[in-house]
Amino acid sequence: MEKDIREDIAWAKINGDVLKSLETPRPLYWVILLVALAMFGVGLGCEIYQYNIGMGVANLNNPHVWGLYIATFIFWIGMSHSGTLLSAILHLMHADWRKPIYRFAEAMTTFSLMTAGLFVMVHLGRLWQFYYAVPYPNERWTWPNFQSPLLWDAMAIFTYLSSSVIFLYVGMIPDLAIARDNIHSGWRKKLYTLLALGWEGTDRQWRNFRVTYLTVACFLIPLAVSVHSIVASDFAMSQQPGWHVTSFPPYFVAGALYSGCAAIITLFIILRYVFKFEEYMTMPILRKVVRLTFAIAMVWTYLNLIEYASVWYSHDEAAKAVLIQKATGPYAPFWWMMNFCGSVVPLLMMVKRFQTNIPMMFAVSLLLNLGMWLERWMIVSPTFSHGYYPWTWDHFQWPSLVQWGMVFGSFGWFTLLFMVFCKVFPSVSMYEVKEMVYHRSLALKNNELAEKGAH
Amino acid sequence: MSVSNMLENWKNFRHMHPVDDAPHAEYKWAMSIDLDACTGCNACTVACYAENNLPVVGKDKFNAGQQMHWMRIERYWDEDKRDFPDQGAQFLPMMCQHCEAAPCETVCPAGATNHTADGLNSQVYNRCIGSRYCSANCPFKVRYFNWYDYPTTDNVWPAEMTEQLNPDVTVRGKGVMEKCTFCVQRLERAKNNARTEGRLVKDGEVQTACQQACPTNAISFGNLVEPESKVAKQWAHQQVELAREGQAKDEQEGGSKLRGYRIFEELRAYPSVMYLERVRESAI
Amino acid sequence: MSQHHILALFNNFDEAEQAIAELRSSTIKGFNFDDLTMKSPIEHPEVEGVLGQRSANVQWFTLFGALTGGILGFSLIAGAQGNFFSQVKGGKPIIPLPPDFVLTYEMFILGGVYITVLGFLVCAGLPAKRSSLYSAKVSEDQIGLLVKVDQSAVGTIKAIFTKHQALEIQEEAGK
Repeated sequence: MEKDIREDIAWAKINGDVLKSLETPRPLYWVILLVALAMFGVGLGCEIYQYNIGMGVANLNNPHVWGLYIATFIFWIGMSHSGTLLSAILHLMHADWRKPIYRFAEAMTTFSLMTAGLFVMVHLGRLWQFYYAVPYPNERWTWPNFQSPLLWDAMAIFTYLSSSVIFLYVGMIPDLAIARDNIHSGWRKKLYTLLALGWEGTDRQWRNFRVTYLTVACFLIPLAVSVHSIVASDFAMSQQPGWHVTSFPPYFVAGALYSGCAAIITLFIILRYVFKFEEYMTMPILRKVVRLTFAIAMVWTYLNLIEYASVWYSHDEAAKAVLIQKATGPYAPFWWMMNFCGSVVPLLMMVKRFQTNIPMMFAVSLLLNLGMWLERWMIVSPTFSHGYYPWTWDHFQWPSLVQWGMVFGSFGWFTLLFMVFCKVFPSVSMYEVKEMVYHRSLALKNNELAEKGAH
Repeated sequence: MSVSNMLENWKNFRHMHPVDDAPHAEYKWAMSIDLDACTGCNACTVACYAENNLPVVGKDKFNAGQQMHWMRIERYWDEDKRDFPDQGAQFLPMMCQHCEAAPCETVCPAGATNHTADGLNSQVYNRCIGSRYCSANCPFKVRYFNWYDYPTTDNVWPAEMTEQLNPDVTVRGKGVMEKCTFCVQRLERAKNNARTEGRLVKDGEVQTACQQACPTNAISFGNLVEPESKVAKQWAHQQVELAREGQAKDEQEGGSKLRGYRIFEELRAYPSVMYLERVRESAI
Repeated sequence: MSQHHILALFNNFDEAEQAIAELRSSTIKGFNFDDLTMKSPIEHPEVEGVLGQRSANVQWFTLFGALTGGILGFSLIAGAQGNFFSQVKGGKPIIPLPPDFVLTYEMFILGGVYITVLGFLVCAGLPAKRSSLYSAKVSEDQIGLLVKVDQSAVGTIKAIFTKHQALEIQEEAGK
């Protein structure tokens, strides 16, 4: 079997390779950054236009009041979950192959949450009054409505975002100390010195670091599950057919992990090339991530089918009508595409040869995320075009270019934040790769000793 | 302060409305609409536009579904392919049903929509941030969103018509949700007059704009708490109770001759509008 | 009597471990074993075998933070509902328990995470000024042992370090 990482890799080389990524990426990096900036500009322009003219330019209408903003919001929230999967769940399970890739996955968590937060904002009809939904004591003596799942959302996202930022930062302190020790000039030196908090790697620091990291990881797992369950509650707590589904929270969580894992594959491939991380982001690790994604894809497929079946056999005529409309109505092409991308495309990941085929996996991971984005749209929109009330039926509302522009722009915003992060902070965890190398070589030595003893 | 208040009044704070709560004390505004009398003439809709300063959005925006008619006349046709259907189009005037347990109220993040003491579903425009969750969760889809800044839009109120705008009603700006208020400005005026004279509002003293305009008297409106009011009598006669879902007559074999029903009663929103319509064979 | 700081760098953990073990077993006048600090590029939990159990108290911060967060969350939310919402919403009680539970849960986690990290900073003594005897080698691949000793013991300690193949020994006269 191939090795996840070479055990004889010198520790100084690990430092050197990762620190080099902060200085000299391939030229493609700058191309990506520029494209991302342009994309974000498009989204920003759309928002300025919508802010000034009114929500009408999004081409939403009266029964059909939610559209791509909410769908894309769920998409980005979902994408954030796999960072936690890699950094917290796999940490507790002692899966050490996560170590070279978890840092960027965690950054992905943070930045996709920031992107999701934008969609809550652009969705609001009166963005300038958004603070009415924020619970703080004020001179108006008013509070938001704590019963609203949207408020739970806000609270959950705030908790999740701040906890992820803290988790990302705390986990990065030893690496920041390395950067501080090796970079001797410019604003970077000041930044790393400040952020490293004077970390020296003493036994006392490491001891408390371990406990803290473990504790925060333990908090993050139920938190991540609760965040997407709450997003699911936006729909499941409502009365509308097609939304009022008991199995929505686990279905959403599975979908979240699914799209997140697919995004990890995409970013894995990009970072590996752009920052020359071939030594650390190895093919066996890619294979493991692909297998994990495949497993989650099958869980999602199962829950998806459960949802269809429970609607079909429930005798809830309204919900059944929504399902039939999804499969045959104006949304049918997207609905079938979602099922194809979500459940059929991942079957390619079963083929061992494909698991480490980079162009193939890149395409597959993008298709999976396309499927998962469509899934969110197919949850939000069809219910509006075929709800309880006959007056609202067949209200197919095609989103305007303003909506599409903002969805497009959000990818630019995410890429921008993510790429800037990877250039400023070490996107491969140096100290944990060293730990991985150390423990693996230790195990290797012990095995050799044991074998010698046997002879 | 707040914690002691919470503990002292814990019991009051845990009541479910309307099922195990005290009924409304003085007023519970309610309506009944006789669909057998409705001719679908749209006079109610026009009256509503005039009374409540509704923007006339124009053809394009109407086609885009961004119309603002708080009161709409829905038309339904028999599609059973029979040679002689019972009737042609059937009409249903639809407006906010002022549910006792309104699905829109719980989901508003800002708390902009509430249940008032006289049984209305209120909408606080100033508090609304435009998340549109209320409309998403409304089973009747009777909430209308200000997609544009209508008061400043050309031809929403043509110059020669600005004189007819109602000074008692505010205009709504960009990005807030609005809906039928049961002409709350008229209700408030009637209540104030009555209070000055030290009495309660009498039946028939206050009319909603749609009721006033209806040529066939299909709409009646009044106080459900007062047993002698027309609405209360109609509700009682039709055996429609406010805090009950699923009337007994639904369950009887063959049904009764009573015509009263509320829309989507099984969703337990407990609407305040009763419709009167003989259930025809073709509608089943 | 003046105190001296000595930092010795070792090539690998095993040598450092042996040096620690020897320092622990021998009684050197003017040297307290608790004044020994190990600096390492990665975490070595196994060092506790020779270093002895030293305390890590972050979990008490966690407990306090999580409980405070939860209690504060519930009383803030229910209190706000009781005071502000005299009006019924959607037929639900004025203080509805399921939504409040969701928010209490979030506040429980929020409090837990924040105070845990605060606890980490307190327990690990961060942020701090770096001691002057610090070598960038420690963040790369070498193990450092920092001791604080009386001047009289400097020679003995240095001898022990050298015996265990210390690559480099730095010394500084402290206050």
